[in-house]
Amino acid sequence: MDFNLIIGGPQGGGIETAGMLAVRALAIHGLEVFANREYHSNIKGKHSYSHIRASYERIRSIKYPVDFVGALDVETIATHYKDLRPGGILIHDAALLDKPITKLPPMEKERLERLKAELERDNIGTTVKELDEWLERKGKVILPFPFSEIIAEKTKLASPMIERAMNTAMTTALLRGAGMPIDTIFEAIDSLFMEKADARELNRAVANAVSDGFDELSKTKGSVTKGMFEKGPSRGKRMLVAGNDAVAIGKLIGGLRLQTYYPITPAADESFVIEQHSSLFGPEGEIVGSPIVIQAEDEISAICMAIGGALTGVRAATCTSGPGFSLMVEGIGWAGINEVPVVITYYQRGGPSTGLPTRHSQSDLLFAITSGHGEFQRIVLASGSHQEALEDSLKCMNFAEKYQVPVIHLLDKGIANCVTTISPPSLGRIDRGKRIVKGAWEYSRFAFGEDPVSPRAFLGEELMWYTGDEHDESGHISEDPENRRRMYDKRMSKSEKILKEVPDGDKAVLFGDGDFEDLLVTWGVTTGAAVDALPELQATGSKIAVLQVRMIEPFPVDLVSNYLSKARSAIGLEANYMGQLAELIGWKTGLKIKNRILKYTGRLITQDEVVNAYMRVKGGEERVILTGGE
Amino acid sequence: MSTDWNSGVWPDWCPGCGNFGIFTALKGVLSELGIRREEIVLVSGIGCSGKIPHFVKVPGVHTLHGRAIPFATGIKASNPDLKVIVHGGDGDLLGIGMGHLIAMGRRNPEILVVVHNNGVYGLTKGQASPTLQLGKKTKSLAFPNVNSAVNPILLGIASGYTFLARSYAYNIEHLKACLKQGISHSGAGILEVIQPCPTWNNIVTMDWVEKNTYYLKDWDPVVKDDEDAVKKAQGIIGIESGEKKALGTILIDRRKDPFGKRLASIYKHYAAEPPAAQEVEKSGAPLSIDLEKTFQKFYIP
Repeated sequence: MDFNLIIGGPQGGGIETAGMLAVRALAIHGLEVFANREYHSNIKGKHSYSHIRASYERIRSIKYPVDFVGALDVETIATHYKDLRPGGILIHDAALLDKPITKLPPMEKERLERLKAELERDNIGTTVKELDEWLERKGKVILPFPFSEIIAEKTKLASPMIERAMNTAMTTALLRGAGMPIDTIFEAIDSLFMEKADARELNRAVANAVSDGFDELSKTKGSVTKGMFEKGPSRGKRMLVAGNDAVAIGKLIGGLRLQTYYPITPAADESFVIEQHSSLFGPEGEIVGSPIVIQAEDEISAICMAIGGALTGVRAATCTSGPGFSLMVEGIGWAGINEVPVVITYYQRGGPSTGLPTRHSQSDLLFAITSGHGEFQRIVLASGSHQEALEDSLKCMNFAEKYQVPVIHLLDKGIANCVTTISPPSLGRIDRGKRIVKGAWEYSRFAFGEDPVSPRAFLGEELMWYTGDEHDESGHISEDPENRRRMYDKRMSKSEKILKEVPDGDKAVLFGDGDFEDLLVTWGVTTGAAVDALPELQATGSKIAVLQVRMIEPFPVDLVSNYLSKARSAIGLEANYMGQLAELIGWKTGLKIKNRILKYTGRLITQDEVVNAYMRVKGGEERVILTGGE
Repeated sequence: MSTDWNSGVWPDWCPGCGNFGIFTALKGVLSELGIRREEIVLVSGIGCSGKIPHFVKVPGVHTLHGRAIPFATGIKASNPDLKVIVHGGDGDLLGIGMGHLIAMGRRNPEILVVVHNNGVYGLTKGQASPTLQLGKKTKSLAFPNVNSAVNPILLGIASGYTFLARSYAYNIEHLKACLKQGISHSGAGILEVIQPCPTWNNIVTMDWVEKNTYYLKDWDPVVKDDEDAVKKAQGIIGIESGEKKALGTILIDRRKDPFGKRLASIYKHYAAEPPAAQEVEKSGAPLSIDLEKTFQKFYIP
């Protein structure tokens, strides 16, 4: 079973809530879920949608075509009608039937031109009704549903209230259409609106009305409600999180005590989640820890405040996206020369400049490892799933303190905003690194020794100095060439220590059998699409595996070279123009990855795209550019 | 006693530099505070003034150009027991770092910002700084200054600072009194120190200071209530509009809660255990957090 649905409507029309409700209901139903959210940088009016996938198996990507499209407006119909599989179902309000398809002021003009051309080419017509008829001729099922009428009749609600709950109405129709019992939908409503009694009652009433109406309708369209899935097996405790949530939870478990940020998409939600959960409860209900969150005046301030906190011995972090990270660079250099353990959670989005503020991208890999003038050691760790993002958040804080380096936790909009089911985290270990042992001797913050990591004292404990200038062991400015060489070596030689001590699983992960011939080399959220596609690819007879690179800096040259040298052909798969990871691998290992599958439209790489692109590569295409998704 | 506050690093300012006056006054005040030296943190920006932490025998954080305030804010918020003092030049705090200066006034943390105001960017050979008057031409400028000067005291009022004072680098006793008052104030403070730069600023000389400043008399800087605050603000605009610069304590407003109190009002645990006082592990294991209770809304029912 592999169930995909799209629910779309105008931004601000409750699409996010609709998606959350559907995802929650599917999870309660015992399914595994992965859902993507696409939206414009806009508050109200532009097209947004959720693509929700559910399966009995754990999934990490979305897939086209879809089984259902639920459209809250004409633009959604016009944008997604081609996404339906044969036999797929389109649900929209019957009131839309007579609306023209191409009078869509919020739609971007390029998109509108393409739409008009398609409608003309396929001789579809100009109204929703005509489009519906064309779709039916193409084997799709259309359910124009009189939502407003039925809800008004059954609930006696006033029309503004009905308008507000239209998202729940549509979600109910979709889920009932797929065969979900109404009680499960109620349960999802109760859990989503746990703290809002009014909203809970309203949404329950609307869901109930739609469900009844849907049952009546299904008597005439019997095939529709046969059900697409059964209840899944009992799975024990699971969580439902967006990447922003996962990172917040990981940081909180990992001992974060100061988070700073400046509002930016798609990072800011993480800080909000930390604020909301700033009371960490112990087994007796007592508060065992409580971090603070400071909203800074800009990202320069955010990174500098976090560094200040770290100097006092607090586990400190900030989170941002590309434009904010650009501002943070001077702070990261300072943390580098001063060996400060600070964590920067970096959610990539489309660049350069403001770029595509709400869309996905993996185009900052090279920036993350090279940002800042001069040379200094840092760690860049890229998570490829929500589960990893959560656990890596704790690891990043360990790495930062153990090696006394700034750590960049590199994520992307895909992870940030996609919502998925995960297992509750294991708590892991906390390693605070080397601390000062009190003695009669004078403390030197940057004392030379066999170990490039000097024992750390916090501000308040000992005399110490920090400076962005090159410095001596005590932290005072020094331009002495011999001191310079030794300090430089001290900092840079940490890379060997890190590569020696960090376990392989944190550096790179192989999915599939070790006797592969073809190797898909990828990172970040794209890993999910590759891993999900693997069984299908293997079924074509290919001996193929997926290599996910996790540690980007310092680069695990030996490990990655080892895998690559076994591959007959390696294919880079990532959401950018260059193939930045593939380029980096070429630079670091000398092994060239010739084939690239790339996407830079700002939309996620999907499972079906990976399959098709791999076939094209096998067919001789060196560079495959993906364009799927709206 | 005072030699005890020398770190032993040779102060590499030019002979006659106003920074020496600030250095001397600061050491004098630190010895009078009666707290462990490890509990003091000097945080500085970039430029001649930015080097001051290296010369004083207390923990020092010499940061980035214009960014001393955010570093200091992070330090103070994480460990409120530390006494945090910011030093920076006029170019540093009023030019590249002005946004942070304004933000600090809005937060009102218990940090004193000492503005070493010499009217020029000294370390880069005397370019015009944000406090150089319009039309003035110091010796390294090719043309007279085309920008108007900013007034840190008025900026301080507009930003919400609760302590404002101006002093002179060569009047050690006056400067010490201002420093002491500012360091003891529970809120954000700006202490502007007029500081001749004998190498690059041939306008603000000792002679100029003599002629163009006066010591405030009969001015009560303490705000009593809301009504008085308005009167004080008007009075300060009057003082600052005068031809001569007033020296002395200009504003003390104890009505506003400092940042620490504001944090404690939203984070109930903060007053008892601020971030730096909290343990985050027990023998390598994370604290025993009840995940289901703490993160309830993320669990699937």
